[in-house]
Amino acid sequence: MTQFVVKPGTKNLQHRGEKLITTHCCYCGMQCGMHIRVNEKSGKVVGVEPRYDWPVTMGKMCPKGVTAYQTVDHEERIKKPLIKKNGQFVESTWEEALDLIEKNYKKLQAEHGQNALSVFGGVSMTNEKCYLVGKYARVALGTRFVDYNGRFCMSSAAGGFMKTLGIDRGSTLPWPELEHTDCFFMAGSNTAECHPTTIQWLWRARDKGAKMIVADPRETPTARIADVHLDLKSGTDSALANGIMHILVSEGYVDEKYVNERCNNYEELQRSVKEFTPERTAQITGVSVDKIVKAAHIFGRSPRSVVMFARGVEQQMKGVDNVSLYTSMALLRGQIGKFASGVATFTGQGNGQGGREHGQKADALPGYRKIDNPEHVKYVSSVWGIKPEDMPKAGVSAYEMFDEIQRGNIRSMHVICSNPAVSAPNNNYIWDSFKKLDFMVVSDFFLSETAEFADVVLPTTTWAEDEGTTTNLEGRVIRIRKVKEPIGEAKTDWEIMQLIAERMGKGEFFPYKNVPEIYEEFRLASKGGKADYYGITYDRIEKEDGVFWPCPSEDHPGTPTMFRDSFGTPDGKANLAAVAWQEPGEVPSKEFPHTLTTGRVVFHYLSGTQTRRTPFLMEQCPEPYAEMHPELASRYALQDGDFIHLETKRGEMEVKVRITKAIREDHLFIPYHWGKELSVNKLTSPALDPTSRMPEFKVAAVKIKKVL
Amino acid sequence: MRKVMYLEFERCIGCRACQAACRECGGHDAKERNYVEYVDFFENRQTYPMLCMQCKDPACAKVCPANAIQITEEGVVLSAMEDKCIGCRNCTFGCPFGIPKFDFEENKMYKCDMCYDRTKHEIAPMCASVCPSDAIRFIDHDEMMELRRRRTQMNLIEGKKPSENDKWEYVPEFFGVYSD
Repeated sequence: MTQFVVKPGTKNLQHRGEKLITTHCCYCGMQCGMHIRVNEKSGKVVGVEPRYDWPVTMGKMCPKGVTAYQTVDHEERIKKPLIKKNGQFVESTWEEALDLIEKNYKKLQAEHGQNALSVFGGVSMTNEKCYLVGKYARVALGTRFVDYNGRFCMSSAAGGFMKTLGIDRGSTLPWPELEHTDCFFMAGSNTAECHPTTIQWLWRARDKGAKMIVADPRETPTARIADVHLDLKSGTDSALANGIMHILVSEGYVDEKYVNERCNNYEELQRSVKEFTPERTAQITGVSVDKIVKAAHIFGRSPRSVVMFARGVEQQMKGVDNVSLYTSMALLRGQIGKFASGVATFTGQGNGQGGREHGQKADALPGYRKIDNPEHVKYVSSVWGIKPEDMPKAGVSAYEMFDEIQRGNIRSMHVICSNPAVSAPNNNYIWDSFKKLDFMVVSDFFLSETAEFADVVLPTTTWAEDEGTTTNLEGRVIRIRKVKEPIGEAKTDWEIMQLIAERMGKGEFFPYKNVPEIYEEFRLASKGGKADYYGITYDRIEKEDGVFWPCPSEDHPGTPTMFRDSFGTPDGKANLAAVAWQEPGEVPSKEFPHTLTTGRVVFHYLSGTQTRRTPFLMEQCPEPYAEMHPELASRYALQDGDFIHLETKRGEMEVKVRITKAIREDHLFIPYHWGKELSVNKLTSPALDPTSRMPEFKVAAVKIKKVL
Repeated sequence: MRKVMYLEFERCIGCRACQAACRECGGHDAKERNYVEYVDFFENRQTYPMLCMQCKDPACAKVCPANAIQITEEGVVLSAMEDKCIGCRNCTFGCPFGIPKFDFEENKMYKCDMCYDRTKHEIAPMCASVCPSDAIRFIDHDEMMELRRRRTQMNLIEGKKPSENDKWEYVPEFFGVYSD
């Protein structure tokens, strides 16, 4: 189960009495390679050792990665199932907790129908578990309501890629190729803080003279080193991308041969970008004309370029449009499907890529199949051993599940590996919805803000106490190894789903004795789909430093570079996006005069359930703060460290001010990793993208006043 | 040990992974010995890492009245020896870089030892191992010398010439720690 895998010639420090177990970080999509140090006698996790020979990260880690092991034997771990009695959590046995779940689930389904139950999943889990969440909801519970926190994270990227390229793989090129790129166009990505170990590749390219263009309302550590920093207003990405494409077209930077052979819609695109002159683009985005022109020329002249983006462009009401437009920029330059060039999104969650491909989504089935396609349903049903007509229909997106709760349609929710009480927009609505549920189950290893609403909390294992595979932001399938036995009575998420399935009389569909058995079924379920993992085995992952999907057979080498010959669309051609300008869901008004945007800091991960319990990270960043420009601060007579009261249409909060010139004068920025009264998501907007159903976290109109 | 520590301040992204990693080093008692600071947060987000220069003739050792600060044969300046340190804190004031720290509970000084248990086997110190942007590197002496000339070389390629106002930009940004 465990071994220390190091390539010849690589030296690592091995302490006496300890063994090293080779695995990957539990946090973001970089999935940095690491060795975990385990005391051989006690079996406890004692530290971390860099994994110098992992080709994507070369031993590099961010502070979250370095301290990730500290959550494994953490004193706040939940060790036994908890049942809420008279408003207090009481430790119980698994038997008692499962009895309660069975009783309530059966009662609710008898009274309100199959779809009274729902499952809210997450993608900080292995592929095996993410795959099983979809199966658990549809087969064990028989409900159509299943969705996951990827709706808050990367579903717009998925939607945009599907529309333009036909297949959603986060990066069309492998990361080590970035070293040979000539130009990076990065939009809405604070790579230095959110995916820090990517920076080494950017610097390697820059050492050879590569240029960097960064679009971000803040001068982030990433934007600081850019050749051009396009300091746009939040929510104006579609105008910026159209503006850049206007110049690409008018200055003759378009790779006509590539576009003619491999893309549709070029004429429509030419027509739609026509009005986005540098002047009009500057007027909408707030970026100066000079910078737009300079950026377009640098990008247009670069022989090899990569367009990269992240939550900044995706967490918008027009997220899918933004992604389609930025992807079209790369297409116009003829970059996709070639060496050291292409398009990439920075997957936010550890398994954001793999977790979104295999049926955790309301309308999806394993292998990127669709639940409204009878052929797809037939195939997956045959793998699962159910009748196609027993497959529930499509459900609704994550945020819309809370609408269903409010309408009384969803009566119970099982939250697995997620903390929507912090991470969903419009928190007050979410909290109210949780209170309206008849029965709520949460699987987690810490008592998260969401778990506090639950009737039953089931203790799960951390990433180090189970094995499996994840898919990193490149699309590379990698191995997570089991480091130690689970703490207390904690069980893995797949065991929990299996136990509940047994109670619901569906145990026969979940016969797994170990993770490889789930993986074997999952490989088969993905076979023939767009995200085909069939040819990827644990052995191959080990031997080949991970395998890139699609990989349809064991003798297939995997696909590091996507779309070399054709795209995933029915006609094999990419669809260029033609999108008109549209305002974000909320624009500053007289009453709410400023723009509030949210994001991450380097010290915390998502809702902070883990990182807020890590001492080093809390010392560095104990609480949220509002970043603002001194010009805005002086209008309210604010000094660094003063408190302000912020209010949007949905909620309010008080927070400390940090003043810096590294942000637009008309914007405020608050990191979102805290819960309850410190949660900025009380203020954020639930305006959903029409395709991806992703909320607009990045733009809210806000009013502020000084707290005296 | 022909390897040196090489700092490139401009690359620092302020993530403080080096500090988190410093705590992970075997003999470091979970206390970091390096620093990351903002140049001026009001102006921008530029940060820089700072660690012991492992001086040839270290002021910290010179001002120690108890001779508690030892230098290894490779030239690494170690923390004060526990049984010798009298807790006078002269070293913390004497060091021109402000590196040594003082533990008031244990009444002793502690400082960067370049992860001696790693570097004596030519394994990179924890800070240099994890630094995501290569702002801190543990590299061959020859590679460092090449990197020193690098910036000027890039300027020549791009055809830039220093003027009176930006001469400083043409000085290679580096701090090398010689250990031999």
